[in-house]
Amino acid sequence: MGQTEKNSVESRRRHSELRFALHLLRQNPIVMAGLVISVATVVLALLSNLLVNGASWHQQALTLRLCWNNPAFSWPVTNLFNCAGQVYPLGTDAYGRSLLQMIILAIPIDLQIALEVVASAVAIGVIFGSLAAYMGGLIDEIILRITDIFLAVPWILLAIVLIVVLGRSLTTLTLAVIITWWPWYVRLMRSQVIGEKEKLYVERLRMMGAGWPRILFRHVIPNSIYPILVQSTLDIGSVILTVSALTFIGLTPNPLLPELGNLSNQGIEYFFTAPWLIVFPGLTILIISLGFNLLGDGIRDIFDPRLRR
Amino acid sequence: MVFVLLALSILIFYLTRGLLPPTTALAPYINPRLTDAGKLSIARAVGVATSTCPSFTDFASLQSGCVTPLWTQYFFWLKNVLVGNWGYTLLPGISGTESTWSVFFGRFPYTAELDIVAAVLTFLIGVPLGIVSATHNNKLPDHLSRIVSLGGYSIPQFWFGAMLLIVFVLYLRIGGLGLLPASGALGTTCALCFGNPGNITAYTGVPLLDALLSLNLPYFWDSVVAIILPALTLAITSLGLLTRIVRSNMMEVLRQDYITMARSKGLKERSIIYSHALRNAILPAITVAGLLVTYLIGGSVIVEIVFSWPGVGSAALVAADVLDINFLELFVLVAGVIIVVTNLVVDILYAVLDPRIRY
Repeated sequence: MGQTEKNSVESRRRHSELRFALHLLRQNPIVMAGLVISVATVVLALLSNLLVNGASWHQQALTLRLCWNNPAFSWPVTNLFNCAGQVYPLGTDAYGRSLLQMIILAIPIDLQIALEVVASAVAIGVIFGSLAAYMGGLIDEIILRITDIFLAVPWILLAIVLIVVLGRSLTTLTLAVIITWWPWYVRLMRSQVIGEKEKLYVERLRMMGAGWPRILFRHVIPNSIYPILVQSTLDIGSVILTVSALTFIGLTPNPLLPELGNLSNQGIEYFFTAPWLIVFPGLTILIISLGFNLLGDGIRDIFDPRLRR
Repeated sequence: MVFVLLALSILIFYLTRGLLPPTTALAPYINPRLTDAGKLSIARAVGVATSTCPSFTDFASLQSGCVTPLWTQYFFWLKNVLVGNWGYTLLPGISGTESTWSVFFGRFPYTAELDIVAAVLTFLIGVPLGIVSATHNNKLPDHLSRIVSLGGYSIPQFWFGAMLLIVFVLYLRIGGLGLLPASGALGTTCALCFGNPGNITAYTGVPLLDALLSLNLPYFWDSVVAIILPALTLAITSLGLLTRIVRSNMMEVLRQDYITMARSKGLKERSIIYSHALRNAILPAITVAGLLVTYLIGGSVIVEIVFSWPGVGSAALVAADVLDINFLELFVLVAGVIIVVTNLVVDILYAVLDPRIRY
């Protein structure tokens, strides 16, 4: 009886806190903008194969053909190819494919890599970070030192070496980014669990005879995972930036692949003949990553009582 | 600290030599004209083939007992590396085959120059943005500053650099030339020099410093003009971190009792913010310096490629393409040393500046 009453009080308190948070969320136009962009990105990614024939990107005639025939805007460059008659809203890429179609096809690819990277990094971070914090002593020291090693190299150098060594494919690209990303989550989770494990309920569970796996996985982790989830929203944007930077510098599995960094990579080659090649894929990356960053930043401010006003 | 660097060296050694075939390490030394006996003796000298290996074909086909065990290779390599012998590189130097060390440190001053100028810019833009953001919380300046810092955080570095190029080279043109140079550090060409570039003595290898030390103002101006766009790209994309930490520290400090006290004494808001609050708010920002250095070194790889900057970052990509493992190893370990030393200096500096902290 007493237990259920306590539970309902607890759930009511959480409920009202959530409503207050949602109220703050609605009040903040920047966060709302982030939310709209993120949702739109995900929807566009899900619909991309309906909008554009997904199998079409490698069945194009591979001749250099840079067209810009959108009358709404003209570039201060001389257009080399006469492409009258066909409509390309954002011009064509270096292989003569519609750039708009390629960008639409690229969004799900980038988003999928980002989700895989963030999910893997969160999983590794939660397990090793909480183990390090909860066990302490030698295990803590070993895990921390390993993260130190990975944090002492600029991520892009490590990723370059990994991709070169393992070979160029989407899998190794994802793997390389995961390897540069997980130490942050281990650190974050560790700092959360260190605060959580000193709380009285953990002591009580221990006295009731609960084993450490039960305490850790059923109680401590669910209570301290919240900031990690916020961070992971924020990181989706950063991972897309990282992946596109790597493919931009040429570490791409296939030069034809519609991937936002890869499309920009063609752009830098034809920079002074076809500036749109780099403008639009890069702009897409900016909008997507800004959307997730605005969302994550707002959520963090709203749930951080120190910054709440 | 030494432990981290040793472990890092093991990691990078395993990645480049353990996972790649042992012949990769020989690439800078052998050419098709060499006989197999010659190749074998080189493989022995590099420390990858055993002295009992009968022929180079046996070595190349990884016959058992022909390839030196990895840990023996590691200690052989470590012994050489510690005395500064990093082998030869596949990258083009000034004359034919050159040692990795000389090619790397011929290019390194350019990267150092770019990173240091970018770091200074990051502080000059990032700290005021953070202050304004905190003192005008949730008002227009706060929103603007958050858009700048979050925008910088979300903008692809290569794209921001490319947009600057489009604006300053393609659109803003004076007399048929772009307003700012599109590429290079103007090391030798001196395209915008007023008349004669004059004499330059390479005291340090850093163009800005060399020009000042040689009292060559046109050259100095050229170097300044060349570094504006790449350094701005690096700074804008790195300042989000700093702005955010200055903002949250400032907001916390402004809520402290001593600030209320200062206000009730009737001090001016300006003096409260700049002389009472700023000192305490900016101190924790020093801790991100280590992270900032990691960011800048990593970011300079991208920025150097976009702006054809002749530093180590753009060379790293070429090295990756031709599998020049000596160069990559040197770059990773030099970056590691810089980051580890920066973190150590930050820790010491923090204790010196904040009397409450004693180790």
